[in-house]
Amino acid sequence: MEQKRPNRAKLFSLKYLVYDFVKLSAALPGMIWLRPRWRFESEAAKKPIRGGALVISNHDGFFDPVNVMFAVWYRRHHFVCGKEFFESKAKWWFERFLCIPIDRQNFNFGSLREITDELKSGSLVSIFPEGHINDGSGDLSVFKSGPVLIALQGKAPIVPVYVKPRAHFYNRMTFVIGEPIDLYARYGKRPPMSEIDAVAEELRRKEEELKQIAYRNRRKTDADTK
Amino acid sequence: MSRTEIIEKLREILIAADDRSRDKVAACTEESRLVADLGFSSVSMLYMVIAIEEEMGIRFDNVGASDFETLGDVVSFIEAKLK
Repeated sequence: MEQKRPNRAKLFSLKYLVYDFVKLSAALPGMIWLRPRWRFESEAAKKPIRGGALVISNHDGFFDPVNVMFAVWYRRHHFVCGKEFFESKAKWWFERFLCIPIDRQNFNFGSLREITDELKSGSLVSIFPEGHINDGSGDLSVFKSGPVLIALQGKAPIVPVYVKPRAHFYNRMTFVIGEPIDLYARYGKRPPMSEIDAVAEELRRKEEELKQIAYRNRRKTDADTK
Repeated sequence: MSRTEIIEKLREILIAADDRSRDKVAACTEESRLVADLGFSSVSMLYMVIAIEEEMGIRFDNVGASDFETLGDVVSFIEAKLK
């Protein structure tokens, strides 16, 4: 049975003013520039994401956060990003864009609580499990186990998303949305570390599957909906 | 709770967390270094903190992974929190 999740995010709040304004202003130019196309892993993946969820995606370029925001356009994203971005002049923007800073060198345990609190309160948190922009070869790097632990602690499903990098600016952007993976429903309580490492690898394989869907010939698939 | 009791509890938590490191954890002392001797990664450190928080009812606020170099540092932190 599908678990009912809280969603305490308000439709309108001053906290979201800048985020919503920029998102609405950029929607039309973004649609024209990217001409996005969505593909779905299955019928279940087509269901809109409600309540708390952890979106994971491949990380091929600097604009991936924007791409992921387009992929799941109907929700506000709280991006987990490196603390160094908050030490730059752009700090104000990162704060307005609901980013959650983490120190990659010396992980602060309070940051984990901040992320899981967002998930528990029904927000959408987005993270790149590779932990960095990958080498540009198009291959996925090893996935870190941290997002698995975060999803379990936040009792939120993981939604895998694949963003197909554009070879040329005039190519259409393709997003592949995978079925939500509810680890809390699968394990009930925290599994041992060996299991968490195995799930991280399972997520990487899932991203590979989504990548295959992204590169499949469009005419040969019935997964397209938009 | 004495330091010996805390370290015993920590051993239980660590073995339940990762059975692969059972031998290392069973032989660990307060001087054992988490990364170099016990082979901890940042995620296993996170896992240990979550388990301690849940089982001992304390919170690791405003501390980072590099604040704990040895098992003794963790014991001292827990001891201070339990006082």
